[in-house]
Amino acid sequence: MTAKKGLSKRSKGKVKKMEEAKVGVFLSDCGGQIAKILDFEALTGFLKTVNGVALVARGSEFWRGQGLQAIVDAVKEKKINRVVVAENIPKISEIAITKAVEEAELNPHLVEVLDIKDHCAWPHKDTPKEATEKAKAMLLAAVEKAKLLEPIEKTEFPAVKSVLVIGGGIAGIQAAEDLADMGFQVYLVEKEPFLGGLAAKAVRFFPTDDCAICIQSPTSDLKTVTQTSRKCVYRSGFSEIPNLNVLTNSKIVKVEGAPGNFKVTVERKPRYVNEKKCVACDLCTSVCPVEVPDEYNAKLKTRKAIYVNKPLVYPPVYAIDAKACKFHECAKCVEVCPTKAIELDQKTEHLTLNVGSVIVATGFREYDPSVIKEYHYGEYPDIVTHLELARMLDAFGPTNGTVVRPSDGKPAKRIVFVQCVGSRDRRWNPYCSSICCMISLKHATLIKSAFPDTDVTICYIDIRTTGREHEYYYERAREIGVKFVKGRPAEIVHDPATNTLVVEVEDELLRRLLELEADLVVLATAMVSSENARELAEILGIELDQDGFFKEYNAKLRPTETKRRGIFLCGGATFPKDAPTASLHAHSAAVKAAKFLMNGKIVKDLKVAVVNEDYCGDCEFCPVTCPYGAITLEPKGEGHFVARVSELLCEGCGVCVGTCPVGAIELRHLKPSQISAQMKALLSINGTSKPLVLAISCSECGNAAIDSSGMAMMSYPANVRVLRVPCTGIVQVQHILEAFKAGAQGVMVVGCKPDGCHYEVGSQKTHKKVELAKTLLKAYGIEPERLEMFNLVYIEGDKFAEAAKMMTERVEKLGSLQLA
Amino acid sequence: MAEEKPEKPSTVDFAREITSKLGGETITYCYQCGTCASSCPVAKTTDRYNPRQILRLALLGQRGEVLTEDAIWLCASCYNCQERCPQKVEIADVIYALRNIAISEGNIPAIYTEFATGLMSEGRIVPISKFLEKKRADYGLPPLKPTGIEALKKILSATGFDKIMFKKGESQ
Ligand code: SF4
Ligand code: SF4
Ligand code: SF4
Ligand code: SF4
Repeated sequence: MTAKKGLSKRSKGKVKKMEEAKVGVFLSDCGGQIAKILDFEALTGFLKTVNGVALVARGSEFWRGQGLQAIVDAVKEKKINRVVVAENIPKISEIAITKAVEEAELNPHLVEVLDIKDHCAWPHKDTPKEATEKAKAMLLAAVEKAKLLEPIEKTEFPAVKSVLVIGGGIAGIQAAEDLADMGFQVYLVEKEPFLGGLAAKAVRFFPTDDCAICIQSPTSDLKTVTQTSRKCVYRSGFSEIPNLNVLTNSKIVKVEGAPGNFKVTVERKPRYVNEKKCVACDLCTSVCPVEVPDEYNAKLKTRKAIYVNKPLVYPPVYAIDAKACKFHECAKCVEVCPTKAIELDQKTEHLTLNVGSVIVATGFREYDPSVIKEYHYGEYPDIVTHLELARMLDAFGPTNGTVVRPSDGKPAKRIVFVQCVGSRDRRWNPYCSSICCMISLKHATLIKSAFPDTDVTICYIDIRTTGREHEYYYERAREIGVKFVKGRPAEIVHDPATNTLVVEVEDELLRRLLELEADLVVLATAMVSSENARELAEILGIELDQDGFFKEYNAKLRPTETKRRGIFLCGGATFPKDAPTASLHAHSAAVKAAKFLMNGKIVKDLKVAVVNEDYCGDCEFCPVTCPYGAITLEPKGEGHFVARVSELLCEGCGVCVGTCPVGAIELRHLKPSQISAQMKALLSINGTSKPLVLAISCSECGNAAIDSSGMAMMSYPANVRVLRVPCTGIVQVQHILEAFKAGAQGVMVVGCKPDGCHYEVGSQKTHKKVELAKTLLKAYGIEPERLEMFNLVYIEGDKFAEAAKMMTERVEKLGSLQLA
Repeated sequence: MAEEKPEKPSTVDFAREITSKLGGETITYCYQCGTCASSCPVAKTTDRYNPRQILRLALLGQRGEVLTEDAIWLCASCYNCQERCPQKVEIADVIYALRNIAISEGNIPAIYTEFATGLMSEGRIVPISKFLEKKRADYGLPPLKPTGIEALKKILSATGFDKIMFKKGESQ
């Protein structure tokens, strides 16, 4: 490790002022495989004539064993200061080679690895002479680039070993606990006065009917808790982990700083009860004169202005509802509190936290179904949502576990569930909330088991039980007599004479219109994103998806990460989830956050973009285009701004380079001069009877498709030459013109699929640029057909081979290009 | 039944045909929830009509059955279903699209041909009878004025109404 301590310090390492380039070229014949095709004698002979080449070596492999040692020796003893290696699968071999070179005290960025097997020998195996000539051009391009390479140093950024978790539901609690267990300083911020979120409200979870809120106990203190036990949140001991701070009644109002080193402002509303003093004796509630509907309990009962949601909550400390309390006008509770815990003069506080990363675990909530007029929710009291029913099923709930009609408190004997209320509904929320079928099955089963005489019917469009053991749950519901009607009700009407609800539904299987009488109708309401999602997303600088949930970086590969480094997601914040899935997601987010911060610093090669401030005309193109938000416009003198690249955030894709109209940005690891030198070299030797075609390909899917065509020995003509760039986004119209000037008769641009670009926008931007370039070509008298963009993935090697053939035939037909 | 010719256009073709017609665009969204059927006042009064079933048959490519039977002509165009459909299927408009296809192929229930004939010859859907005139007089209503039939005829033939309605010349 060459990295030094401290903030953003550059380690110049062992790099001295560059002396004259002495290039060593190492040619691997891949265990003799490709020597049958390529004439290695000719290649070595050719290389020896190239200016700047000080050493040419041939071997059977150079990325490990003796071969690798030969490179190290050449660097150490023969003072080779540029290393070019022709080796198999450069993406892999490069790792070992650069590491060895670094250990030999040469900057690892003075290495260029190329692939003359899959990019040359294999695809042109039927024309070995042509293949050898192409290999010469490829090697020359690598040498010319190598001569222009400059060392790139490393930089360090601080990574504060501290994490903010937003949301104290089941996901947030578990992520917080994991990280605290691993030794990170954790702040768990919850907007409500009590933890538990939706799971605590839902009481039990499917498919085991288990308590929803029990968690794995912390393992950091093995003396007091055993590793295997799971415990209710309030007695799990998680709150006793010394490096875990729970902040209730709190929300995030501002986030500044950079990944690894955020400054977060938290607004903490007063609880008016001192957490350290309250002993939960309940004396206060008996004297409090204010009674308000208890929202937590679906307003099925009232509570006092000072309250707890239910026994066994965390924190086990009473809270005052500021909207209801009469404060000093009354203050009865203050007098009665035996520990003087009630502090009516508490004020809103603002705390500043320094954290390295943030985990968003804000969960989801029930959609308000009153917008669906034909269901009359909010109008007829005996129509409830499934969470409201869950409160009735809680033995600690407002009805002590019995199911009643809210209108008169009488037991509900006939219950109808209506599925997909406001979900799978293009008028409100088009998606399936994914857990409501199981919630209704759970509730129907709990009711039927406890009160077998109850008539329970579920009206459904489709029953979705896709999880493990979920289908058994559906089976059991049928077994114990829950009835199922396939059909979505048109309307729920109320008969005032009998205080009965009537659900009008078509039983589609009977093709008959039914009027189901019910004492209670339960709406399986859609689950939607948390109320403040948009506001929070803006504060954090992350995105929401089309349905309003937090958007992950990549659903398959980075399901807990966001586009903004250091900010992670878990649980229902990304989509409604059952408790097991939320849990899984939470543990995964905790691991990602830990991985990000565990070294206490972020060490990075400065393979980033730099702006030439003298040229920048603050046009604002690049700040908007950069897929990582790495560029900001900074003031520079009177009314002037210049683009500045964050070395931490920049991923080095070069999309900005391709965007800048005045050429004010370049990549440190692929300078314009290096691109030109390679291009000229690739086109300087033809060796075939066909016109030269240059393929500018990205290093990701585009190059993988070219690799795979070679690996599978698909053939295409040797006049096609590949120039690799990080992302096609770097391509400028001028590069294309330059290619034609340098002798290309056709130009292919090979990138990722537009919606699968590794750098998000690169491929799309380039598509537009290519179209623009075609118009320009026409103006210059060059047939626009000579230029084409191809969007490929790894498995489309055949498509690359086809495209290469097609372009060759096309330019052959067009005839030789005459440049004025 | 068993010997009947198989339906010509496939499932996909018929759905595509409907979505290409004005009003028919949304039919493929239907996921057969039945909200329309239980909202429909016509379906409440007769077994011969069920909007969900019409959409189902149409999406399954039962072109002949949908276009030749009288169900599609029973819709009262109240738009109740369309208000409530969770998939925003424009059901009543889809039914219009189906009627338009049926008419273009000459599948017109006799009653509609009668209406059309009345319109073309007298400018009225319901013909005026001595009885009707007397009833109006009893209620103190003025006698009906002539309809300006020549102008109407011009409009109807300019819009192609006459050709569409009497395409195959059948007036059963
Ligand atoms: S190279 Fe890519 S990540 Fe870096 S500033 Fe430019 S566009 Fe942004
Ligand atoms: S695109 Fe170029 S000119 Fe425009 S702001 Fe960025 S660096 Fe400056
Ligand atoms: S209401 Fe809409 S989605 Fe449901 S069956 Fe009728 S047309 Fe189909
Ligand atoms: S518009 Fe037609 S199908 Fe729809 S509810 Fe009214 S009568 Fe029934």
